[in-house]
Amino acid sequence: MDHQTLTSPESAELRPRVFDSITQLLPKVLGREIPAMSEDMKLMSELGMRSASMLELLLEIEDDLEIQIEVEDIDDAAMTSVGDLADFVAGHAIIDG
Amino acid sequence: MTAIEAVASYVPEQRVSVEEVAGRLGLTAMQTRLFRRFLGLAEIRLDPDGSLLDLLSAAVSRLAELRGRERLVRYVLYARAMPVVEPYPVNTLRELCEAFGLGHAVSFTVTHHACATGLLAVDVAGRLLAGDGDADSDAGALALVLTGEKAFTRDAQYVPGTSVFGEGAAACLVSLHGARDQVLAYASSIRGEFDGRLDAAPEMASRFEKEYPASLAEAIAAALSQAGMSLADISLILPHNVNALSWQRLGRRIGFPADRVLLSNVPVTGHAFCADAFINYTTAADRGLLRPGSRYLLAAAGLGATFSAMVVEH
Repeated sequence: MDHQTLTSPESAELRPRVFDSITQLLPKVLGREIPAMSEDMKLMSELGMRSASMLELLLEIEDDLEIQIEVEDIDDAAMTSVGDLADFVAGHAIIDG
Repeated sequence: MTAIEAVASYVPEQRVSVEEVAGRLGLTAMQTRLFRRFLGLAEIRLDPDGSLLDLLSAAVSRLAELRGRERLVRYVLYARAMPVVEPYPVNTLRELCEAFGLGHAVSFTVTHHACATGLLAVDVAGRLLAGDGDADSDAGALALVLTGEKAFTRDAQYVPGTSVFGEGAAACLVSLHGARDQVLAYASSIRGEFDGRLDAAPEMASRFEKEYPASLAEAIAAALSQAGMSLADISLILPHNVNALSWQRLGRRIGFPADRVLLSNVPVTGHAFCADAFINYTTAADRGLLRPGSRYLLAAAGLGATFSAMVVEH
């Protein structure tokens, strides 16, 4: 099956849904409640996430939003804050084409 | 100069999917899915009825270049990720030496570089031969480096969120004057601050994850610097098979194309402890990826932590 990366307008449209999804799924992945989640919240230093839990979160987002995420390009910058991760996912989501 | 004269490898026939391994370990559905979906791991090879002696013997049996030259082997080095694998007085290495006509050789285990110990053992083998002082008059002297371990405990089967271990073995003949694969440089860095159980020390685990790519990149740069080369001189990287994603990310970080890191065994064998680089060598050789004069790089990281790289000219 062919896959296509989302165009910029599609990514922009997806971005808020990704943020909402992260907000909803992070407590599940971390196994605890997170009060006052924000775009700037640091995934590793504040929330204690590690690469394994980050990948689990990406899988949960894929299921939740019915998308696939290209992870080959993921780097430290993409995993810094909740907002950075939302940007990365919206920019690296692929749809069946 | 240390030279790798010949390499033979063996992986058991039985294929076990990562899902099956995860089921035995009691991992969650998400912990299981990320292996195949993101890390490029699909199956491992196991020989549940075979012993450690069976595993290592299978690799040595395939090393045709050893036949008839056993008396020339002065040292047999068993490079191991795990320091202890059998109870005293069981000594698989000595049993293997006796079985293959190597009983006269000095044999010992090299360890404490975890999964990077295989590269250390090649370096140690070359140093021992050179240190004998008669290298010029006895150009035929050899050392045999063995790698391969049984995935026999939970810790020996799985690194959380990172890798799944499989069984595989390699036998590597080292000399000082071989023309096949000359070792141009070896660099290794030990980061003792990462010694400990990653799953029991989350802070240390986070720091290790953060520093892993830079530390491995530094080891690669150090080996290249020793050899007076840059990455542009390297045609191929033969990695440890911890997972595909970490190598894709490292390749991008150091500016080396991912398609020139031999990752095709990752979904087939999983991470076979110290044997990965040598199993990958035989794959590269079989596929004609090593051309005369081409330079390639063996690279590995070990928990504990060690970061190592070796530059070799084919």
